[in-house]
Amino acid sequence: MKKTIHIPLGSQHISLLEPVKFKFECENEKIIGVDSDVGFVHRGVERACTTKFKFDGVGYVVARVCGLCAITHSMTYTASIEKMLQTQIPLKAKYLRMLLLELDRIHSHMLCLSHVSENAGFEAIFMRIMGDRELIMEIQELITGNRVQFDFISIGGVNRDISSEHIKKVKEALKVVRSKVDGYIDEFTNNWSLSLKYKNIGVLSLDDAYRFNAIGPLARASGLKIDVRNEIDYLPYSEIGFEMQTSTGGDIHARNVVRLNEIVNSIQMCENILDALPEGEIQTKVKGKPDGEVLVRYEAPRGELAYYVKGGGKPMLDRVRIKTPTFASIPSFSHIFMGSQYADAPAILASFDPCLSCTAK
Amino acid sequence: MFEKYRKKSPWILHYNAGSCNGCDIEILASLSPKYDLERFGVVNTGNPKQSDIFLVTGPVTYRSRERLVELYTQMPEPKVVVAVGSCSCTGGVFRDMYNVEDRVDRYIPVDVYVAGCASSPELIIDGVVKALDILESKTKEMEFAKKLQNKPKIEDGIVSRKEMPRRVGENDEES
Repeated sequence: MKKTIHIPLGSQHISLLEPVKFKFECENEKIIGVDSDVGFVHRGVERACTTKFKFDGVGYVVARVCGLCAITHSMTYTASIEKMLQTQIPLKAKYLRMLLLELDRIHSHMLCLSHVSENAGFEAIFMRIMGDRELIMEIQELITGNRVQFDFISIGGVNRDISSEHIKKVKEALKVVRSKVDGYIDEFTNNWSLSLKYKNIGVLSLDDAYRFNAIGPLARASGLKIDVRNEIDYLPYSEIGFEMQTSTGGDIHARNVVRLNEIVNSIQMCENILDALPEGEIQTKVKGKPDGEVLVRYEAPRGELAYYVKGGGKPMLDRVRIKTPTFASIPSFSHIFMGSQYADAPAILASFDPCLSCTAK
Repeated sequence: MFEKYRKKSPWILHYNAGSCNGCDIEILASLSPKYDLERFGVVNTGNPKQSDIFLVTGPVTYRSRERLVELYTQMPEPKVVVAVGSCSCTGGVFRDMYNVEDRVDRYIPVDVYVAGCASSPELIIDGVVKALDILESKTKEMEFAKKLQNKPKIEDGIVSRKEMPRRVGENDEES
């Protein structure tokens, strides 16, 4: 006779930053069924973008969809408006945008890594990574003036210039971060007790990643080669030494390795940007009202982010559709939970790096 | 005993009522080594029944409203509510969106308001330290109320007035 137990996780739980509800159906310790509910923080941003705010202010509103990847949201929206108005933005503005986008990716990945280790029971590593993450936050505060919601990107360019003193300080801080990250790579790959918690747990095979449409670090850890940064043309990623990071295995360990390698690659890119920062203006004047429809994609820290914007030649837009990375990954999340131990559930959940504020909008 | 040491080690409960995660990661950052809220004895806990300070972030959405009030009622007295971020104080940029109800203090009483989008860790620490003082004064109020209910103790025919409520005027002489 089989007996199953229903265990709820959420909507408020210590291992969750934000409200999400999972209902696990367990047979002894093994999970055999998952039901998820993600809509707790739905606010209605898409609707407000078309009724409350004019198109030049929407870039700052969509940044409030998610605090972690705020700049990727405003970047993708701005790029779609610029594509509609056929504006050419200066090269320096493009480089400064990429600098902030990569810094954002570094701090987001560091938060995820610290969260994974906390949920697996390693409080010390959590504290260490959070301590080192402050270096990146300081850089962001130095360049933009705010720690999280920095409203740096505007339509036509960026809002602030970077001075030579700042470049010097940022380079020094990045060197320190680089040495710390090397330490983490050693820790995450060679530590025996970490491997017990991470290796062969929460496995997503290459076939399943393809079948469930996994994106972002989740797919790259399974060996699927998708990265939107490789495919876009509005930011010159090939000039600054972008390399796609993939791994095989598809377990939590592989995801950590992909994230760590991406941090290293992002630091490299930031250094290249600062070395080869072009001269020139940081802002162009933009005229006209958006007309027509456009779809723009960008690689957020969690995967592909897409904006569909439709305008009718008026200050108010007709439609703004936001396709967020976590929303597309939910089928693969549910698949990974099947058959794993209940005790591993918080660590597996953290290794997806879910962002429910993005998902619910 | 509990009353004496509650101020020394208050436990916080954190709930995201619909914010953008910005304030939430700043709360995490204020618990991390650089700002170190833990030097005041503050521990982040997931259990409402053990916590003293309630940190709320974000505007209250339609679905999180019930949970917010439920969590508040489950916390034991005395409790202090800290609203973190512009959205929880006023509604912020999300005000009047169709699924957003209103700011936090329409549903539960708020003691400390922390402004900023997103609130910096310094401000959050300032707010929590202020909340500690309020927690202490609330504890004292509760003790005073307990004394009013006590009946006079009589030992060997002598009325012990130590535990009895004070009469009018008596309080003034002492203080």
